[in-house]
Amino acid sequence: MTNSIAEIEDAACIFVIGSNTTACHPLIARRIFRAKEKGAKLVVADPRHIQLSRFADIAVTQRLGSDVALLNGMMHIIIKNGWHDTAYIEERTEEFDGFKTAIDNYAPDKVEAITGIAQADLEKMAELYATNSPAALLYAMGITQHTTGVDNVKSCCNLAMLCGNVGVRSGGVNPLRGQNNVQGACDMGGLPNVFPAYQPVAVEANNEKFAKAWGKELPDQIGYTITDMIQAMIDGKLKALFVIGENPKMSDPDQNHLEKALEKLDLLICQDIFLTETAERADVVFAAASVAEKDGTFTNTERRCMKVNKAIDPVGDALSDWEIISKLSTAMGYEMNYEGPEEIFKEITTVTPSYAGMTYERLGLDGLQWPCPNTEHPGTQFLHKDQFTRGKGLFHAIEYLDPAEMPDDEYPYFLTTGRMFAHYHTGTMSRVSPHLDIEQKTGYVEIHPEDADKLAVIDGDTVNLATRRGEIQVPARISNLVKPGLLFVPFHFAENAANILTNSAFDPIAKIPEYKVCAVKIEKAA
Amino acid sequence: MDYKMIPSVCSYCGTGCGVLFQVMDGKLTGTMPMKTHPVNEGKLCIKGWNLHEHVVSDKRLQTPLLKKDGQLQEATWDQAIQTTAGKLKAIIKDHGPDSVGVLASAKITNEENYLAQKFARAVIGTNNVDHCARL
Amino acid sequence: MEEQMKEWLEPYSTTDYKTSTFETMQEQAKEWLDQGKVDLFLGYKMVQGHPLPHFFKKDNLDEVDDLIFGQARYSLEKIATKIAAEHPEMKIGLLVRDCNQRALNVLYVWNQLNPDNMETINVNCCPSKLKKHADCSYLEPEKYGSYKKMVGIDNNMEVEAAEEFSQEERYNRWLYEFQKCLKCYGCRDICPVCFCKECSLEHPDLIATGSIPPEVPIFHLVRAVHMGGRCIDCGLCEDACPSDIPLRLLYRKVSETVEDVFGYKTGTHTDQSPFNLLGDEVTLEPKPL
Repeated sequence: MTNSIAEIEDAACIFVIGSNTTACHPLIARRIFRAKEKGAKLVVADPRHIQLSRFADIAVTQRLGSDVALLNGMMHIIIKNGWHDTAYIEERTEEFDGFKTAIDNYAPDKVEAITGIAQADLEKMAELYATNSPAALLYAMGITQHTTGVDNVKSCCNLAMLCGNVGVRSGGVNPLRGQNNVQGACDMGGLPNVFPAYQPVAVEANNEKFAKAWGKELPDQIGYTITDMIQAMIDGKLKALFVIGENPKMSDPDQNHLEKALEKLDLLICQDIFLTETAERADVVFAAASVAEKDGTFTNTERRCMKVNKAIDPVGDALSDWEIISKLSTAMGYEMNYEGPEEIFKEITTVTPSYAGMTYERLGLDGLQWPCPNTEHPGTQFLHKDQFTRGKGLFHAIEYLDPAEMPDDEYPYFLTTGRMFAHYHTGTMSRVSPHLDIEQKTGYVEIHPEDADKLAVIDGDTVNLATRRGEIQVPARISNLVKPGLLFVPFHFAENAANILTNSAFDPIAKIPEYKVCAVKIEKAA
Repeated sequence: MDYKMIPSVCSYCGTGCGVLFQVMDGKLTGTMPMKTHPVNEGKLCIKGWNLHEHVVSDKRLQTPLLKKDGQLQEATWDQAIQTTAGKLKAIIKDHGPDSVGVLASAKITNEENYLAQKFARAVIGTNNVDHCARL
Repeated sequence: MEEQMKEWLEPYSTTDYKTSTFETMQEQAKEWLDQGKVDLFLGYKMVQGHPLPHFFKKDNLDEVDDLIFGQARYSLEKIATKIAAEHPEMKIGLLVRDCNQRALNVLYVWNQLNPDNMETINVNCCPSKLKKHADCSYLEPEKYGSYKKMVGIDNNMEVEAAEEFSQEERYNRWLYEFQKCLKCYGCRDICPVCFCKECSLEHPDLIATGSIPPEVPIFHLVRAVHMGGRCIDCGLCEDACPSDIPLRLLYRKVSETVEDVFGYKTGTHTDQSPFNLLGDEVTLEPKPL
């Protein structure tokens, strides 16, 4: 997030696109409710009628995967009405003219044809967002998990810059991170192209800096992303995979494809707190400590690095992940003899400029938001205050593209996937929790009553869902949350795994798969 | 008899709510919201309120496992670590460091992620390190 | 951090009276622990700028100098109930506000705690009509806004004021509030007098599972009914509600009904509840309406 969670309350307008916030980030949804109750305008765009839609000043259900057209359409209307912030654009951004030319093509009638959003609704969205300042834009995986994920994000940024909403309190472009430490995993360099704090591995000075700090010559070739790794496994180039606290068998977009890749490995190492679907396939499984059994830090979606404190000893012989990695490293001939997480954190702060001013003592129980460059620095509530990180904010001319797979005669329905409120990710943690299990014991597919009628399906009937990748059986849930022609499957449940169906086509830059859109056929199970 | 409240952070999504773990006689018995936490101000969602339940699940892995005769079997840490290190070294020797991939995690701590990527880069010698944030 | 500590403590440290309360309280707790009158004492301690519930013990009497109370309200009596369930003979000392004391009374009535094992130090602080002339340290910023005033129910509203809305309007306003529910069960989980092992809210035959908001208005009305004769108007449910639903008002209405029908003022004494059907004796004796 460019901005902070608490700031959302004081926005004059909140635009939520591709985030089912009440289900996936309930304590951020709280801030949206509070803002709304204080008088903010709420604009919601989601292919489903989500809980937040009930409270919106305008809520639209755009056709799956049509976000670029929707956002370009809003910007077209904003520019046409002169609602954009010309002083801000002049002073703080560049490449506006090229962007404006592209936007000229997105007249409301054209956008309606792509998105299914009535022109009057689009105009109202544009007006509410542009004329109530500051406006906060919130999105989640509904924006990113597309073959046009990067285009979608850039379009969100275009819109925010167009109205002068970046670098202001209670405004901003705010991706809501789905997992507790996605932010930290990225900050710490858990990526193939960068060291901690996004310092590129291919830049010689960075490479030298880390080589010196770690006392080892380091590779400067960019590595494989997870998407590349799976292909490299199939091609026989990747022989060993070390999976820490992830369950790709359930989270990879094409389970059958991944299965073939795992078979080709010489060595699969899994490190987890449960025997996940992936770990069942492993050659070696390391038993790890859970969140309550170790010290360390997590960095949340608003860049707040916070202390996690050990409450109990690990179960059985389980060890903290840092201990396991240290042991393995030492056994490989590279000594890692850390006394504990604090010593590791101190090392982090010496090589990670955005964390340089943090200490465990300073973090306390409130944490600190990066960038925090020195020990006097109070942390940063919102980014890009006086200028963008790169200097001037760059407008991108983005053209709408269809999703990789659209419904056709053979697969006539749209399928989208996501979370439901009581479960988390691949279900490893939440499904063993009795109070969460009570809420939802198995998977389901949401289907509109009209479609259910057509298929003679009643609530609870088992249906077959099939795509070009595979087929699952799943109970039907008749629901007005989806529109006719659209189906939704939560991805927490291994027995009716959504990722047998989803499309592994991915965004060319971010390599993120298109979990949010594919074409599917449905029939009542015999 | 011992009872403690340990302040910590919920690990069920990226919001980062402050929680208090309730520990009685060394056992984790409950989760409560931290009233004065800047993120959640004393509120939690259904997952946060039940954060302790997965920790105390009897399905937790308690020991390392090694595959023998096609089956995963309990092992000591020494066996598991030495066997793995041996196999990794052999693979690196035969196919080079870029034949190994490491998936760090959006669920473990910063310290652990830092070590995971350091392990990939400095110990294995590859930049093949990523995590499942996209997924 | 120091600044923050000041902020939490201010209402209690500005006058001589309050300061002396702090010291008296610490001395008392120390004495009880030292003499073995209590095995442990539940109060608050400032931890890195945050007042957190803390358990003081005889083997570390010096730590009792850190015993404080402040704006954060936790249900210490619920924690005491958990401890007593595992260690029934344990003598527990407790720092109580008036709301905590009312909760204790209910827990005694329902045999969740043994009054013989409890010692309390009372702190004056309470906004409830169940206690006159008192103030409460609400941690929360104001909960109502212009839009909520227009379509929902102001969290500071009194029962009488809410009843001035026409039935239809009142119904719509409650529907608005209930639709915000995120089904966290925080109202139940934080409630000092919710101790049932099986909860109707989780009974799939009563309330459908698997979606949010939970069935409107059944979820909230089922809970409200179950608060009859239980709710002591501490307001922790509303404090814990991520959606600022005016739960306290809802349960106040239920309590008013209980008082009207049974003449029972929940939590103000340790007489048997009219709803207590345990054993041979049935105490449910409604007044003639």
